Amino acid sequence: MNRARILLTNILAIYRRELQSYFFSPLAYLIAAVFWLIGGFFLVAILFSQGGLIAQVATAESMGAVPPIDLPYQFLQYYLDVLGALSLFVLPMLSMGLYADERKQGTLELLATSPVTNWAVALGKLLGVVTFYITMLLPLLLSEAIALSASEPPLDPAIMLMGHAGLVLLATSVLSLGMFVSSLTASTVLAAILTFGLVLLLWVIDAIGNGLPGAWGDAVGYLSLLTHYTDFVQGVFDSSGLILFLSYIVLGLFLTAQSIETLRFQRN
Amino acid sequence: MIEVERLSKSYGSTVAIQDLTFQVEPGEILGLLGPNGAGKTTTMRILAGYLPASSGTARVADYEVHADSMAVRQRIGYLPETPPLYPEMTVEGFLFFVARIKGVAAGDRAARIAAALERCNLTNQRRVMIRKLSKGFRQRVGLAQAIVHDPPVIILDEPTAGLDPRQIIDVRNLIKGLAGQHTIILSTHILPEVSMTCDRVTIIDRGEIVATDTPQNLMARTGHGYAVEIGGDPQRALEVLQSVPGVTQVEPRPMTAPGRHTFQLVTEGDDPGSAIATRLVQAGLDLFELGRNQASLEDVFINLTVQEQPLLPPEEPPAADVDPVNTAAQPESTEIPEPIEFPEPTELSESTDSEDLIAEEPTADE
Repeated sequence: MNRARILLTNILAIYRRELQSYFFSPLAYLIAAVFWLIGGFFLVAILFSQGGLIAQVATAESMGAVPPIDLPYQFLQYYLDVLGALSLFVLPMLSMGLYADERKQGTLELLATSPVTNWAVALGKLLGVVTFYITMLLPLLLSEAIALSASEPPLDPAIMLMGHAGLVLLATSVLSLGMFVSSLTASTVLAAILTFGLVLLLWVIDAIGNGLPGAWGDAVGYLSLLTHYTDFVQGVFDSSGLILFLSYIVLGLFLTAQSIETLRFQRN
Repeated sequence: MIEVERLSKSYGSTVAIQDLTFQVEPGEILGLLGPNGAGKTTTMRILAGYLPASSGTARVADYEVHADSMAVRQRIGYLPETPPLYPEMTVEGFLFFVARIKGVAAGDRAARIAAALERCNLTNQRRVMIRKLSKGFRQRVGLAQAIVHDPPVIILDEPTAGLDPRQIIDVRNLIKGLAGQHTIILSTHILPEVSMTCDRVTIIDRGEIVATDTPQNLMARTGHGYAVEIGGDPQRALEVLQSVPGVTQVEPRPMTAPGRHTFQLVTEGDDPGSAIATRLVQAGLDLFELGRNQASLEDVFINLTVQEQPLLPPEEPPAADVDPVNTAAQPESTEIPEPIEFPEPTELSESTDSEDLIAEEPTADE
């Protein structure tokens, strides 16, 4: 009982410090600003541009399209696709400093000589960066909510929830893997580049899987982040997708803890 | 409190430390003294559980540092070579963070932090962002971080590195104030530091222990010396001085004034000071001055680590740039007496080349 409380205190302490570091980092604000700008731009473009959804639906309806198009659902799908893709660029920049900065500042030596387990540190850090990512999403979600509130009939809340849960799961997976990459190097730039490469590979791996024959191809294709994310966005609950995302998250945490432990043995 | 037994660590084929064995008693301050690259930081890191040893054991508070790493971590405060600080935190915020991860109970945190701030003279800086602090203050925050959870064992790696003279005095006083309730091991390459703060010194060179003793004993071990100024026949004075029991070496120095001759004596055993005076006066020589110069730790250090000579010329002992308290003592201590063997008194010589030292100084660590 007491042990659990100490563990919780530790995770919470790491979490708070990590989160605080984002709110004091000019780079984090810059990343958020760019994220908002591009996200907001796409929100407007999807809905109101000349080839946008509203114009499309108007044209289709004027031509007497049957069945009628579910506009809010279409919008949500497009928009979450955009946010997912955009996040692929942003997330490596959020995760790059998680451990690389600790190594650079020498604070890893403090963490490694404190009575905190490696995985508690990793978990606290992951929760911190995920919280920051969700904070980054909030303004975009707000504008999305405003757009959707105008729809009649309203969108099924379950579909909305599923889509956004998918986005957060996707982001947590990417951040978890990015954290592991960050634990491998003291260079944040290198961490960001490697993470981006890794995530890109996992994003399009189903295309590679399609090229491979038989069971191998299926197995490789199953690892794809995009396929499972699309399932979530479409409101299709697939437990294999949930399991895949959770596996990535746990794998990232596990590898991070391992790499920090290994670091002790090869440091010179 | 700290027991190190046959501790070795090598990085690949490079041996960092070899067969270190030493103990630190509860409440004691042990100084780990050695030139740069001697293996001090490696030793500290192993003790703190940051690095595993290649072989041998290290126990802190009766726990093996690697096997019982968590138990050890709860009982140590550790200041690494570079203070581990988060620049975007305030001093107080950082100490709260450290207190949390070191397991200080929630109710005790505020009081422990206030005490650490007070101790390290940081109370006025408590709300300042660490990024904005000068090097000296950062070092103090590093120290506060190491003591905030009131650990029984404190490991300090170069606690005064990069500080200005005033700050060095502050930090030394702080460390001395911690002795008694805490067991402290600190590393340094600054000689006066150990003689001022430490109860015992372990000198390591190239990863091996060359001596462990109190600073006083180490200095005594190198022997004492006298400087005498004599009026009269220098040849006769030389003979008289050489005849005094306990005087092992006599070395003529340049004349200070017409008719006054100065000699440097190296002595051993019971203090022969009064015998020197008596003999000189009995021989009808004029004694103007008889002064004792104690061997400094610099001498001990150079004696013990004489192989380092080409890297550390005696003109520039590592301490020379830092301590104003000792600047007065510097000129004397850096002037290493050149030993002259008894049977053949030679001419005056000014050379203090390191090569001479290597050739003539007996090497203690061989």
